[in-house]
Amino acid sequence: MRGILKSGAPFIWLTGGALATSLLMIGGLLWLIATQALGIFWPAEIVELALVDGGRALGQVRSVEEIPGSDDEMRLQLQVGNRDLYGADFRWYDDAEVRTTTRPQEAVLFERREWGNFYGFVVELWRGEERIAAGEQAWPELLARLPGAAQLAERIQELERAALRSVNDEIEAVRLERRRVESRAAAAPRLAEIDERLVALDARYDELQAELTTLVEQSRLEHVVVETADERRKQIAVTDIVFAYRPNEMTLPAKIGLYASKLWEFVSADPREANTEGGIFPALFGTVMMVLIMSVAVVPFGVLAAFYLREYARQGMMVQIVRISVNNLAGVPSIVFGVFGLGFFVYFLGGNLDALFFPERLPAPTFGTGGIFWASLTLALLTVPVVVVATEEALAAVPREHREGSLALGATKFETMWRIVLPNALPGILTGLILAMARGAGEVAPLMITGVVKLAPTLPLDSTWPFLHLERKFMHLGFHIYDVGFQSPNVEAAKPMVFATALLLVVIIVALNLAAIMLRNRLKRRFSTGVF
Amino acid sequence: MHPSDSEPLRPHWIASTDPRLRRRKFKDRLARWVVGAGGFATIASILAILGFITFEVLPLWVPATATEQARLQLDSGATVLTAVTDEYRDTLQVVAADGTIRFIGLGDGREQASFAFPELNGEEILALAKPDGRNVVVATPTRLLAASIGVQVSHVATGRHLEPRVMARGTWPLPEGVHRPRLIGASLPDGDSVTALIVDAEGQPWLFAMRTEESFLGEVERTETIRSLQRPGAEITAVHVDPRGTQAFIGTRGGRLERWDLNDPAAPARTDDVAAAVRVGAAITVLEPLIGNQSLVVGDAAGGVGVWFRVRAASEAQAMRRIHDLPAHTAAVTVIAASPRDRRFATAAADGSVRVHHATTERTLLRLEQEQLVGTLVFAPKADGVIAIGTRGAVTHWQVDNPHPEISLKALFGKVWYEGYNRPAYVWQSTGGTDAFEPKLSLVPLAIGTMKGTLYALLFAVPIAVLGALYTSQFSHPKVRATVKPVVEIMAALPSVVLGFLAGLWLAPMIEDIVPAFLAALFVIPGLIFVAAIGFHSVPSRLRGTLTPAAEVVLLCVLVVVGFQLSLALNQPLEWLLFDGDFRAWMQASGWRFDQRNNIVVGFAMGFAVIPLIFTISEDALSNVPRRLVSASLALGATRWQTALHVVVPTASPGIFSAIMIGFGRAVGETMIVLMATGNTPVLDWSIFTGMRTLSANIAVEIPEAPQGATLYRVLFLAALLLFLITFVANTAAEIVRLRLRKRYQEI
Repeated sequence: MRGILKSGAPFIWLTGGALATSLLMIGGLLWLIATQALGIFWPAEIVELALVDGGRALGQVRSVEEIPGSDDEMRLQLQVGNRDLYGADFRWYDDAEVRTTTRPQEAVLFERREWGNFYGFVVELWRGEERIAAGEQAWPELLARLPGAAQLAERIQELERAALRSVNDEIEAVRLERRRVESRAAAAPRLAEIDERLVALDARYDELQAELTTLVEQSRLEHVVVETADERRKQIAVTDIVFAYRPNEMTLPAKIGLYASKLWEFVSADPREANTEGGIFPALFGTVMMVLIMSVAVVPFGVLAAFYLREYARQGMMVQIVRISVNNLAGVPSIVFGVFGLGFFVYFLGGNLDALFFPERLPAPTFGTGGIFWASLTLALLTVPVVVVATEEALAAVPREHREGSLALGATKFETMWRIVLPNALPGILTGLILAMARGAGEVAPLMITGVVKLAPTLPLDSTWPFLHLERKFMHLGFHIYDVGFQSPNVEAAKPMVFATALLLVVIIVALNLAAIMLRNRLKRRFSTGVF
Repeated sequence: MHPSDSEPLRPHWIASTDPRLRRRKFKDRLARWVVGAGGFATIASILAILGFITFEVLPLWVPATATEQARLQLDSGATVLTAVTDEYRDTLQVVAADGTIRFIGLGDGREQASFAFPELNGEEILALAKPDGRNVVVATPTRLLAASIGVQVSHVATGRHLEPRVMARGTWPLPEGVHRPRLIGASLPDGDSVTALIVDAEGQPWLFAMRTEESFLGEVERTETIRSLQRPGAEITAVHVDPRGTQAFIGTRGGRLERWDLNDPAAPARTDDVAAAVRVGAAITVLEPLIGNQSLVVGDAAGGVGVWFRVRAASEAQAMRRIHDLPAHTAAVTVIAASPRDRRFATAAADGSVRVHHATTERTLLRLEQEQLVGTLVFAPKADGVIAIGTRGAVTHWQVDNPHPEISLKALFGKVWYEGYNRPAYVWQSTGGTDAFEPKLSLVPLAIGTMKGTLYALLFAVPIAVLGALYTSQFSHPKVRATVKPVVEIMAALPSVVLGFLAGLWLAPMIEDIVPAFLAALFVIPGLIFVAAIGFHSVPSRLRGTLTPAAEVVLLCVLVVVGFQLSLALNQPLEWLLFDGDFRAWMQASGWRFDQRNNIVVGFAMGFAVIPLIFTISEDALSNVPRRLVSASLALGATRWQTALHVVVPTASPGIFSAIMIGFGRAVGETMIVLMATGNTPVLDWSIFTGMRTLSANIAVEIPEAPQGATLYRVLFLAALLLFLITFVANTAAEIVRLRLRKRYQEI
């Protein structure tokens, strides 16, 4: 026994246990997010519970657990949906309450644009006052109409989001111009011309509005009559249905196909129902845009700073202090950068820009409020140290012989840097950039106060001039997680969405990091210099 | 080591006239300039962050200043009874003893309009009370009259236009027996109601209450109460009636302060009678409420100024208490004016000195001087000016520049006695429901929350990270190490918002039910591994040798999982054994608070974020210990463990220290995890079962609502500055230690 203790083997195992704990934590976290997130797109079967009290419930089983404080009695959580009828999406049923459980083939699930999922049975299909189909015929008829309805819904959305908005923006622009002209003397002729344009635009707007009204009326025309498990009937417009399927009679390939299309909807569609359903495209787009703008800002400055520190500045105490300071900035809390971004970029720079270039819009701020540009710049500041450190390391790894060779052949310092050092250091710089992007994509705290919003009506990049709208607010995956998970009124219903968003964010960040690690390993193999 | 260090490496340019060479030279110089400028600008702008944040914080500490705007002389000889000003401080509206109300331009001293006091009918004004900013109640020998005085502001093309307004608010005949009022305190709660406390020439106090109440049938019911207050005690020298008419305060020549409950006007009751003057026997000269009408400023003949409000001492009824003591005047206090915006007030004394104080922080902000004995003092509606009117008609108008009067070192870091609190406390509460709400901006609860979260996170993370690093660097196979390091790096890259979300929505509800198991796991898992290791050692060494390095890690993982499952199984037995069957009920019964989103959850999640940082840096330090030291130790017969413990760890300890410092820096500033995994309630305890609010989460929560340049905004910048400095110092210390260690490794 004493020998064992002396050899230290148990202690070594203990230290190993610490490592194992870390590994399990990271593995467990990834596994947890992946299973929780990937499960939500799977069309699970619908069960119908016949209850002891004579009632019926229809829905998908979401979890099964032991009743707290009991011995081995179980209960299950059923997603019953039908929020418009029942109020809550989820209900708990104790095993003792349930008499029988069946899986009716004809049970349908509608994923709707409003009110969440619907579980029930299709009874009839109507077009206006005319009944098209009833009973079993209604289902195939409904399926046949869904693509048309989806196109109609898309058209309506396009009208609302793009056409009407762009006319609206134009009207706003002309109004602002009018205000600008008004303040000048001898404005009368210009004013008349502007008013003429305004009238034309108003007419155009009314025209689009009328078209929209007809389309909306048209979309209300076709509806299904459905019945819930407790025999309540309800009408649902066909255009309100995003997905309609009968999971209990679906084959495995059909389920996989549906899974894929739901996954695609998640990354490509707009959110619905206060962000708790639908897709996250705007958040994904906002994140990517922000990271790109950030990269454009961070690379030149970070690389210049590193070249200056490593290649041009006279090495000494001062440079060493500066280097340590820059390194340490990487450890300064991100919220501090956020505070700086808000105070300096948004209020100071933005406020002055507004006063200089957009006085006619005041007091409504243009740049004097949070926006994607300020958020990106804030993150650029936050990630500059990452790029500086990585670039410096890459520069240090370029062998001295290369430079000496170049200089000996008569190249200027700039030529040596440009032709010899920079190409060699490029993978290292790229590593730094990727790490910076990963850091930037995952940051939320500084964005929350410099321009991220829970729901941005427009993307920062669109088809109206000047295409890239740096002043716009934007959505972000990380903030989406925080907002939907913690600020939405129906957290339980929103959880799957949050898990899916978290998975997407983690995948992006892990992929970026893996890329950086691989790049760095290649670089290391090339020069194989140890750095500590 | 690079070229710029050694001069000979620079190419020697021979002066040349070759244009190509000149162009190359030019390019080289240009590049040098661009790199220098760009690099310098980047570094400067990074360092400017500190400067900018400091710059935003500084106005908090700028002392109050007053600039004399005007000095005027009122021409009429009549004594000024009271005055009000408009919110632009354009006019001064003066009520004089001769019954005139005059509007005087503060810029030029010219009289713009003059009114007779409504319905005065030439009677003599004997006493006056000012229930609020714009209403005035006066007593004549036979009646009480009320009027409102103000200006109507309209904005026209040439600027703003002020229209003087004087309106009668009511008249009430004085009761029989009241002989020439000498002092009056009054309130005008609404429409037709009035509550007044009148002291007549004989010194007899009278309560005069006229209440109109509309019954639910729409009938108006008027109750009129007139009674003389039966009170023993010294002569009354000051009175004040609360604006709602439910309480009255009386100051006496003997220096006592009385509070009378007027809820039932028919039976007024004296609830308090306390000595209130700074010097025994000095008469109370002025009673003036602060904004919100909960605090009363008491001035006395000895020059003392105190702020009083009612507090509930332990198990006692509420009683008036002197809460704040302000530096006294040297002469009797003659008049007090409270700021309509915050807890400042101005006092004037018989020697002509005027002071501006802040009640809660107990500071005198301004000491102003003018020549005359001050009879009337006006605090401007926007709290940006003070006007003093001397008894001989001299008007002095100061502009007061003091945007953050409520901030002092004590207010931010000390215990402060706020209105409505029974004792001094550290409180963070930045917003409230009413205009009279006083922001409470103590950074102490936030600092404690930050330290608490950091402490528990480090308690969890440091052992795991450092021991794991020790294993990886000293005992694991290089192949294992090659896989572990990138995995840990990825762990470091996981966004904190994901960790916070899992902690708040998944871990917190789960841990709630298994707290005993969770605490037990801290002992069960190491114990199990220890026992397993001893067991494994008794296996014949031939078999032991077959365990591959990767399998060892897998085996350890299995042990951790089994240990955790074992702890879970122990949960119920433990609850029965130690906590009467239900941990949370037991906590509650023993008077402990238990939050679902508590520090265990935060510690775990934040530990998750910190582990990879500490791990990576410690691992670097441990694995870079010069090989020859390890070899020497092993050659002398030490076991691997002895070598690790006595050679490697001591040598690398500065590196481990720097790793912990960096982990500390990260945990201090972590925002999203604490924002999501705690309830964000500012607390002062160190319990692991409660949540907290940290400096960083507080900034994230409050700064979107803080108006630019307001006190809250600057205090949040101060919090950011503190975070910046804490982390910068921690990181710099870590960096310096690391650099020195690297040098030492080279020397050994």
